Amino acid sequence: MSGGTILEIHGLNKHFGPTYANRNIDFTLRRGEVRGLIGENGSGKSTLLSQIAGLYRPDSGEMLVNGGKYDPHSPLDANAHGISMVMQELGVIGSLPAGVNVFLGRTGQFAKGGIVDLREMNRAAAAVFEKWGLRMPPLNRLTENMIIEDRKMIELARALSIEPEILLLDEVTQSLSLNNRNSLYELIARYRDMDRSVIVITHDIEEMIRITDTITVLRDGQVVGEVVSAETDPDQIRMMMVGRQISGDYYRDDTTPDCDGETVLSVRDLSVPGELEDVSFDVHAGEILGFCGLSDAGIHSIGKAVYGLIRGSGTVHFLPTDVNITSAPQALANHIGYVPKDRDREALLIHASIRDNAVLPSVEELRAAAGLLPPGRVNSMAEGIRSRFSVKSTGIAQTTDALSGGNKQKINLGRWLAKDLRLLILDCPTRGVDVGVKAAIYALMKEAKKNGIAIILISDELTEVLGMADRLLVMKDGRVTKEIRRDEDFTEQSVIGVMI
Amino acid sequence: MPTTANGRRARTLKNWQFDLIFAAAIVLVLLLFHLISGGSFLEWSNVKGILSRSAYPSFIAWGFCFLFACGYTDMSIGGVVVLGSFASCIFGNWYGLPGVILGGLLVGLCLIFINFLIFTYSGIPSWIAGISLAMIYEALAFLLKISKGTKALISTSLDKEYRVLGQLPWCFILLLIGLVVVYFLYNRTTVGLNIRALGGSRDVAEKLGINAKKTLLFVGLISGILVGVSCVLQQSYAGQTTVKTGLTSINMIFQPLAIYLLAQIIRERINIVICVPICAFILYSIFNLLTMLGVPSGTLQEACLGAFIVIFGIVGSRKVRGVVK
Amino acid sequence: MKTDKKAAKLRMSELVPFIAFVVLLVFFSIGTGGKMLSSYSLKMLIEQSILTIISGCGVLFVVAQGSIDLSVGVNVALSGVIAMHVAQSTGVGWLMIPVALLIGLFMGLLNGVIVSKCHVPSFTLSIAMLIGVRGIVNYIQTIIGVEYVPASMLFITSSGFRIAAFVVIAAIMAYLFEFTKLGRYSRAIGENETTARFVGVPVDRMKILVFALSGLMAGCGALFSMATVGGTTQTMGVFLEMKVAMSIFFGGVLVTGGSSAKFYKIILGSLSITIIVYGLSLMGMSDSHISQSVEGGLLLLILFMTIVSNRKKKARGETAAPAPGETPPAEQT
Repeated sequence: MSGGTILEIHGLNKHFGPTYANRNIDFTLRRGEVRGLIGENGSGKSTLLSQIAGLYRPDSGEMLVNGGKYDPHSPLDANAHGISMVMQELGVIGSLPAGVNVFLGRTGQFAKGGIVDLREMNRAAAAVFEKWGLRMPPLNRLTENMIIEDRKMIELARALSIEPEILLLDEVTQSLSLNNRNSLYELIARYRDMDRSVIVITHDIEEMIRITDTITVLRDGQVVGEVVSAETDPDQIRMMMVGRQISGDYYRDDTTPDCDGETVLSVRDLSVPGELEDVSFDVHAGEILGFCGLSDAGIHSIGKAVYGLIRGSGTVHFLPTDVNITSAPQALANHIGYVPKDRDREALLIHASIRDNAVLPSVEELRAAAGLLPPGRVNSMAEGIRSRFSVKSTGIAQTTDALSGGNKQKINLGRWLAKDLRLLILDCPTRGVDVGVKAAIYALMKEAKKNGIAIILISDELTEVLGMADRLLVMKDGRVTKEIRRDEDFTEQSVIGVMI
Repeated sequence: MPTTANGRRARTLKNWQFDLIFAAAIVLVLLLFHLISGGSFLEWSNVKGILSRSAYPSFIAWGFCFLFACGYTDMSIGGVVVLGSFASCIFGNWYGLPGVILGGLLVGLCLIFINFLIFTYSGIPSWIAGISLAMIYEALAFLLKISKGTKALISTSLDKEYRVLGQLPWCFILLLIGLVVVYFLYNRTTVGLNIRALGGSRDVAEKLGINAKKTLLFVGLISGILVGVSCVLQQSYAGQTTVKTGLTSINMIFQPLAIYLLAQIIRERINIVICVPICAFILYSIFNLLTMLGVPSGTLQEACLGAFIVIFGIVGSRKVRGVVK
Repeated sequence: MKTDKKAAKLRMSELVPFIAFVVLLVFFSIGTGGKMLSSYSLKMLIEQSILTIISGCGVLFVVAQGSIDLSVGVNVALSGVIAMHVAQSTGVGWLMIPVALLIGLFMGLLNGVIVSKCHVPSFTLSIAMLIGVRGIVNYIQTIIGVEYVPASMLFITSSGFRIAAFVVIAAIMAYLFEFTKLGRYSRAIGENETTARFVGVPVDRMKILVFALSGLMAGCGALFSMATVGGTTQTMGVFLEMKVAMSIFFGGVLVTGGSSAKFYKIILGSLSITIIVYGLSLMGMSDSHISQSVEGGLLLLILFMTIVSNRKKKARGETAAPAPGETPPAEQT
């Protein structure tokens, strides 16, 4: 904490077209400091990090590393200065094995007479995983079929393999489950002990306060303040982010569970080899049923299995129409909605228009005679979703890739709420959205609940499930290990005790 | 924990077991062919024929390995091979063996490299651009055939003594050399790994500091040399090359393409570079057997080839989950 | 203001295929001294495009889903040859219509089932079909030879009938593509198959359906082909699949399909290509085989222009779409 300055930024500006992404940023980072960067979507935190990492070059301003001028032309250049980054979106190459991915672009260092020594390279990669206590995926396997967490671990190992003096982490935790998050926290702590520095971006304010020493708050591309983590609280940071007081409690404030509505879904002895084992539960109208657990506990498989995307033994009985759900088209036809975890890859047609995305689940309802989907009805439905959920955009013809994460999620959720639903499955609905949108999503959930929709809420964020659910099912290794009602011992400690 | 995915994998065969079974299966099939053909299939002269026939398509199929790895399908390779073979023939008859080699190699290399520049810099979907280029190359070949200066040169076949490369043992030696070189290039060199990275995701590869343009030029260079070698082998094997027009040159790549596709199907278990010559040998064995059995070539043999690819495609894709286009 | 500009730019990229079409038309009108615009030429232009459009409008659905069907050409040949033989040998002329359609449909269904249920990449499968079915067609033709449209069915060879039939069929297909569930789901599958699946689109059924449709339209194309020529030929449907694919991509559809697929694009694309081919032959270059070279060059040039004006979208198309049917190599040694 007491080290000297390692990175200095003075008067940095960066704009894309007419909009400033970063404006007159001044920033100082000391050795051994863990710094958080926080701000609403579009406040310029990722842009700032990307410039430090050499992905973009600033329009003006200067950066100094260890007092020397620093003007990286590429990520490799940044690496040479001891800076590396794990990016929010950047993936790994699916067609290459994990070990090669760790050293990709630098495989030449293992070449002897032009031939790359793969064994040596895998040994070096394994050493990185082991040194930092990261869960190691099989290094000879291609990464294309690995889960997101494993791929993130590979990216982390890649960033760490150059032994950076400054490690930049952009929204790494959001794709990790609790146990892997913990190893990341340990890694960050070790970095601090080694007198090296970390800059972290995360949307989870509590997490950020817990793991950082200081926090820089950005708003509209500008630094609006810097606070010491130990002396702040989430409300203060939220206020700085949005420039107004947000009620700290956007979750539910009651403690009475609603579990007495009519049963909407009845799951019995659901087993999917390697994912779920003998899972049984009921969901009632107007109830929010929460699922939480560590990675591989199977909570995400619950959503897929109920929506008919994966199949195993057991029954998923949907009572209002008295059918057993066995396929996704069937679930769609039976007034069930599903918001998957990976917004850009599983939920949205990212390069298609808002219109195409908004009406996708409602195509059957829009159908008129002779199979016609009347353009007027298609447009008015899309327009309705856009305005009702206040999606910031230029119109329904705009493509969704230009929208911020929060606005994408509004479409993703809104298109289901525009339907006549009986059951809605939400898998991490607030992943990677800012506090404002988060509050809006919770409000929508409360409204849906009031309208008698049964909701299955699957989340990696324990506070979210605790804040919203009527009942909570804790899962471990594919089994439900405990059920807790809202009026019982509904606290983080009691849940974590069961989860681990 | 990860037992879910790994557990399933652990139950499947070990690699060496698979290799053994695969080799045994090939031997069995060949023996079966031998029986079916009434004992003439495995005669040395017949095997020799199959081997020398397998050489030139193997090189094109290896070229496909690199082209496909970065997402390019070059439909003009047939046209290139025709022109390259012409060069091999003309220069061979003028300057002997060095002419054969250099003529085919250089023309093949240059044209593929030009294709590559077009694919890389124009952004036109490669196989559409390839069709356009095939038209141009076919017309060029036709021009050579009808113009007075070159007409005689092309219609003369390559002198017998310069055709050794198309016969055993030379074509087999070349195939072995090619196998070793391509294997290391594809799997164990920085260039090879970078090429495959680029094929996986250009965006990610570039962010990791891989110079995409430079790497792509290497792809052009490598596949150019491979196609160049196959020009030489083709001309040496056949002695003469006919002009193709009306996009019929595309037909020439169907067999190498079939080899590549077959190889791709078992590539999960056996490295694709090694698969290629094996598949070529199997493929031409089948053609050979069918000819022995009196199945007319060009018609029903082609039908068998098509059925063969489909069946292997189905078998090979059995376990595939997820998005297939 | 900024968004206006953006929208204008977007419209611009949509316009390029139109501009290419107009430029080509003007170029060849001048180059042929106005012969290109004579009513006879225009009629020829339309007639020559019809076969491509009819055989290709099923493929458009397949391309919209991000797959490719390179088997239309051989499909046209197979269904045409068999249908004609049935009509000739039974003496019942009208039989050629249902037989051609049924055989086309069957081949398409076969493709669709293999692609969706057996997960064989469509590029691989349709190349295999291209090789294999052509072999079968050639074999059949060595036995039965070339046959002519029976007298009772000669009415289909009149150009009035053909153009009328074309308009009706094209209108139906355009309706299907632009305004129905089939079209919307197909584009969604092309944009992101995982998303489509996760929303609840019956992806497998949609795939089978579009391949079947592509086959059916190939059967239809066989009838048009025989109506134009007056019978079967040895080269029936040869490289038709390439022409169809070129028309679709020339019209501005991306290899990845999705929202870039529009019905008008196949019409525009095939007209442009026909203008090049026909224009060159009007300029007296058809016999020399040089025209082929010019054709290839022109195609490259125009595609290049289309893409330059479409830079942003192209980046998408190139990274997202490696060679059709290509999944990255996977091997362990």
